[in-house]
Amino acid sequence: MPNLLAARSQMGLSLGFHIIFSALGVGLPLILCIAEGLALLRKDGSWMALARQWTKAFAILFAVGSVSGVIVEFELSLLWPRWISFAGALIGLPFAMEGFAFFLEGIFLGIYLYGWNRLSPVVHWMCSLPIVLSGLFSAWFVVSANSWMNSPSGFQMVNGKAVNINPFAAILNPSTPFETTHMILACYVVVGFGTAAVYAAGMLRGKRDDYHRKGLLLGMALAVVAIPLQIVSGDFNARFLEQGQPAKYAAIEGLVTSGYGLPLYIGGIADPTTGQVYGALEIPHGESLLAHFDLNSYARGINEIPAQDHQTAGSFEAVHLAFDGMVFIAFFSLLVAVVFWLLFLSRKRRVPENKLVLWGAAIAGSLSFIAVELGWIVTEEGRQPWIIYNLMLVRDAPNPAQWITVSFIVFSCIYVLLGTTLIVLLLRLARRPKTPMVWNEFVQREEEGEEQRSQGLERKKAGAR
Amino acid sequence: MILDYAVAVLLWLSIITYATLGGADFGGGIWQMFAFGSGKQAKEEREIITQAIGPVWEANNVWLVYLVVGLFTAFPIVAGTLAISLFIPFSLALIGVVLRGAAFAFEESIPQSVDVHAAFGRVFSAASIIAPFLLGTCAAAVASGQLRPANGRIPVAVFSAWLTPFAIIVGLMGLGICATLAAVYLTVEAERQEQPALIEAFRIRALIAGGVTAVLAAITLGLSPFEAPVIWHGMLDEGLWAIALTMAIGLATAAALFFRRFRLARVLVQMETAGIIGTWGISQLPYIVPPDLTITGAASPYPTMQAFFIAALVGMVILLPSIWLLLHVFKVEEKPPPVHEKGLEKAT
Repeated sequence: MPNLLAARSQMGLSLGFHIIFSALGVGLPLILCIAEGLALLRKDGSWMALARQWTKAFAILFAVGSVSGVIVEFELSLLWPRWISFAGALIGLPFAMEGFAFFLEGIFLGIYLYGWNRLSPVVHWMCSLPIVLSGLFSAWFVVSANSWMNSPSGFQMVNGKAVNINPFAAILNPSTPFETTHMILACYVVVGFGTAAVYAAGMLRGKRDDYHRKGLLLGMALAVVAIPLQIVSGDFNARFLEQGQPAKYAAIEGLVTSGYGLPLYIGGIADPTTGQVYGALEIPHGESLLAHFDLNSYARGINEIPAQDHQTAGSFEAVHLAFDGMVFIAFFSLLVAVVFWLLFLSRKRRVPENKLVLWGAAIAGSLSFIAVELGWIVTEEGRQPWIIYNLMLVRDAPNPAQWITVSFIVFSCIYVLLGTTLIVLLLRLARRPKTPMVWNEFVQREEEGEEQRSQGLERKKAGAR
Repeated sequence: MILDYAVAVLLWLSIITYATLGGADFGGGIWQMFAFGSGKQAKEEREIITQAIGPVWEANNVWLVYLVVGLFTAFPIVAGTLAISLFIPFSLALIGVVLRGAAFAFEESIPQSVDVHAAFGRVFSAASIIAPFLLGTCAAAVASGQLRPANGRIPVAVFSAWLTPFAIIVGLMGLGICATLAAVYLTVEAERQEQPALIEAFRIRALIAGGVTAVLAAITLGLSPFEAPVIWHGMLDEGLWAIALTMAIGLATAAALFFRRFRLARVLVQMETAGIIGTWGISQLPYIVPPDLTITGAASPYPTMQAFFIAALVGMVILLPSIWLLLHVFKVEEKPPPVHEKGLEKAT
């Protein structure tokens, strides 16, 4: 395997693995925060049980995310040393800041995780807020670095060297507002539908209790807010790309040739070498209408873009399909969420237990994870052949070491190992007997905790004497 | 220029912090390997190691991440050079770090059956040995000036840089430091849990591991004039006081252990680790990768260094109170023993 392919495969695999856990790490704290907040407000055992159950799951997911994050940080240098030698000075800063945000998230997660019986309920709930915020900031910092690769700024090139560096201008590059918003919303979409899917699946297997209904309700509440925003944000991204990265835009829309009044291609294989789109559903004038609100407007195809900017073979086709897959999932999920809430509101605020709706939620939950991966493929494959847009080619960046293929194989095995262990453990966690679900039991246990605490203090005092 | 040095010091402090905290995680893994079998004491030893490290490993790993990120931000050329010429040991060390982290991540959730636990433990103890050893050899490869570009090209993934006898001795010393750190920390932990048998076991181990480390350090020192001339001369010029100080702290650590002043020993062994790594840094001034890359020469342009330094300060201002809160919540109040908690859960 050539180094370029091996390095790309390893990086792609690592990010594809890590993105799931980072999305959960950003989104899940919000679910925890809301569930615990509702529990305290309404003195409701089911909400509290949900918060506790998700805390346990979150602890494992966060830990796996932190492990896979270490791999990614190392790989930035290990796989792409020539890229990092150039880009480090320009865009290393947000990674350093992310380090602090991640540390903060870890610290408060630690307090949150082990602090149920050590803090007053309200203080414990407040500890979820820094987790939510630092998760948000982590996502923002890291994605701003990726945005920089799509629209490098904050420096000038003079004789092949970057001068007049401004790291903050690099962080706030033109792509940043679009990409960061889209990724952060993606985290909430995934967590919303993902949570809903877990409880929908439980209800389909006959567990139709208050706990499952509330879990489903909470997931769907987050989802129905996040998914329309996400679709709008996606639209903004596409419009930005038409100017910012025309080759990527041509790829996502499958535009093989330029023209006036172009159709919108849905699905199909858009082959840039023959200039044909095979097997797509064509909506006449759709592309022109969507892009410029004008049936006969002009749209640029890949044929008009200099050959040096063309994606490597296969990427163009893949980006179009990945984009359409992502959009399809988004609209399908939106439909599920809307139907769910219409039923909920029309039936006197009772959680719908219709089989079709539950299946829809379960499927939307699984698909939303795929949508995150597809979105990532769109942004990464769409940027090919550049590692830094218009500045450095991917093929000039990989490590020349002759061991990259071996490294790719070994790390693939590690991901299989990590992934299987995680799934087995999460399934075990789901089957484990639940924490009590009646409010009084929580109160009782907290009082016991209080007793233990005071006993501990007394023991300490005795020790001090 | 001063800023470049300030950032270099910051990164060196990250190495020291990672070594004293993360090193103990690895050391714990090393001792876990010795605590095999189903005997009562072995089981208690395994438990206390897990308890001591479980809640903190994630935080410890952050220092490693910060180091990697800081290096490629502030000294990108160095990050690129190390990645190319030390690709193999860094990849292997990364695998060790990952497996060790995964062990902790899954620790609480894995089935409590003895077999699975033991198998899990075995794999991850092995990971604990390779990571510090390889990071040690990488440090030796840097210090001994092996990463010198030949005809302007950086040596690509060479074994000869990090598998010299000198590098292997330094790698073993890395293991020794981790084992000593962990054993000393565990004496304190055992004292807190009032387990005299464990206190004694780890006290002896700390003394032995410390002694072995001292011997390895002496060999390293003896080899330095031939294997790492830049460092050797730097040490003679600038670092003699640091060597003397480090040696004195080492003796003090041993004394503290001998007289069972475990809390004092814990502080001293951290200072000792800082001394060893600090001496290395002082001795190779002004180089970051001898004999070609100097700190100022390899540093990023001024705006990056400034932003990085300010970000670090702001970050610490936010982090320190949070860390204080964490410690306040957990260390001030005594932990209820976990066994009791589990029983309680079953009862309800």
